[in-house]
Amino acid sequence: MPELRLEEVRKSRPGRDGLPVQILRGISLTAAAGQLTAIIGPSGGGKSTLVRLLNRLEDPDAGRILLDGQDLRLIDPLRLRQRVALTPQKPYMFEATVLENLQRVALYQGSAVPDPAAAGFREILSLCRLEAELLPRAARSLSLGQQQRVSLARALLTGPEALVLDEPTSALDRPTGDRLADTLREVCRRRRLTVLMVTHDLRLAERIADRLAFLADGQILEEGLTADLLARPQSEGLRRFLDTSSVPEIAEAQGDFDER
Amino acid sequence: MNAEVIDLDLLDLAIGYSLILLTAALARLQGIGQEREMIWASLRMVFQLLAIGYVLHLVFAFSSAWPVMLVLLVMGAFSVQVLGGRIKRKIPDFYAVVGSAIFIGCGGVTFFFCLLIVGLEPWYDPRYMIPLSGMIIGNSMNGAALAAERLSAEMNERRDEIEAALCLGATARMASREAVRSAFRAALIPTTNTMAAMGLVFLPGMMTGQILSGTAPVLAVKYQIAIMFAITGSVAVTAFLILIQGYRRYFTPAHQLRDLR
Repeated sequence: MPELRLEEVRKSRPGRDGLPVQILRGISLTAAAGQLTAIIGPSGGGKSTLVRLLNRLEDPDAGRILLDGQDLRLIDPLRLRQRVALTPQKPYMFEATVLENLQRVALYQGSAVPDPAAAGFREILSLCRLEAELLPRAARSLSLGQQQRVSLARALLTGPEALVLDEPTSALDRPTGDRLADTLREVCRRRRLTVLMVTHDLRLAERIADRLAFLADGQILEEGLTADLLARPQSEGLRRFLDTSSVPEIAEAQGDFDER
Repeated sequence: MNAEVIDLDLLDLAIGYSLILLTAALARLQGIGQEREMIWASLRMVFQLLAIGYVLHLVFAFSSAWPVMLVLLVMGAFSVQVLGGRIKRKIPDFYAVVGSAIFIGCGGVTFFFCLLIVGLEPWYDPRYMIPLSGMIIGNSMNGAALAAERLSAEMNERRDEIEAALCLGATARMASREAVRSAFRAALIPTTNTMAAMGLVFLPGMMTGQILSGTAPVLAVKYQIAIMFAITGSVAVTAFLILIQGYRRYFTPAHQLRDLR
């Protein structure tokens, strides 16, 4: 259960005119060990850029990110990505069966391919609510909710100490999103993981996050316990964000993707 | 053996040129407005080929290895330059990657072919080495172009797949394996198809040329078979070298996929 800490992290990207645009403008934030921290905020605020820095898909331009006090750049990147697992916003399913998708982890890490009957493997499946009947199916034929859970199971199979989730419910309708939220909470508790989750889904954040940080315009404007932050927003930005994304409207069902 | 070949004098060529003029006239009649380009291209061809003819004449007369090696290098350099002009979306360090691959792939196979299979005496005999390496380079260029173009397309299209693999702890090599494989497959397809159709669909140029210059058909066929082996090997080695050097350049040393879009 490590602590994940960002210190004055900055990142820019080339804009349309080729000039760099500041996406992250000095982010300092701590995801406490064993807690679930959610970063909320409007889209375009730099959330997706931020997650890519945490397992070094990219490096910050300035500032440091520390995993239990150790600068990420000093950790072997392949080892780091086993310790800090990232699930992308849109789960990527390799063109193969669900089982083969899960077994890729062993393939990449050069370890023994897990037997689907092994206890550890089955525990992860049941934790992520993946029924054994799904294993032989083509992963791309699954519903988005199921794909999200395969993605989560695959991340857990890397044996991580910390989990970074990018908008886990963004593609899901509300009941599916709620079920995934419950799954996530269960996973974090049982696996004793440090979790950093990025989302614009307030409902999800309220449901499962221990702490919240509000990210807008590349800066953390506020941070604190979930209940405190939602009850007593200090910044104008957060107040406006809470008003415009009042919980019940979020992710209203567009038909149930899940049980197909 | 050249005694059997009928000489062409300038008058013969001039008579032949009437066919170009006929083409130009037809182009005019149809109003496609290409007769100037046609004439210009034909004159360029005449001078380029005459120039090459005299260069080769000199190289043959020298009977020394150096001019032959120089010609091979110049051919290789031109092939890289032509590729550079033809390929729009280039892999990173295009000239270094493709240049070294052609140098090693085509050069290696040329020497393997000329020394071990044909057994040239002297080893640099320009009458063999220059046309044979020309065929090897010319064909390898296509393989190189396919490998480089396809690699760049695949690395861009498969960004999500590659990063998904990296997130699961894959190395750069493992994450780009599918992209590399599909580019390698694309590079080998034309050569494989050519081999399968050869003799049935078309008579290859070298064989035709040898027959014209008086070589017995069966011997010409044996040369054609051997050169096809050499071409296939050279295409494969060149494409392979491009791919294994090329994919690395899409990643940082920390196994991060560069943003080259």
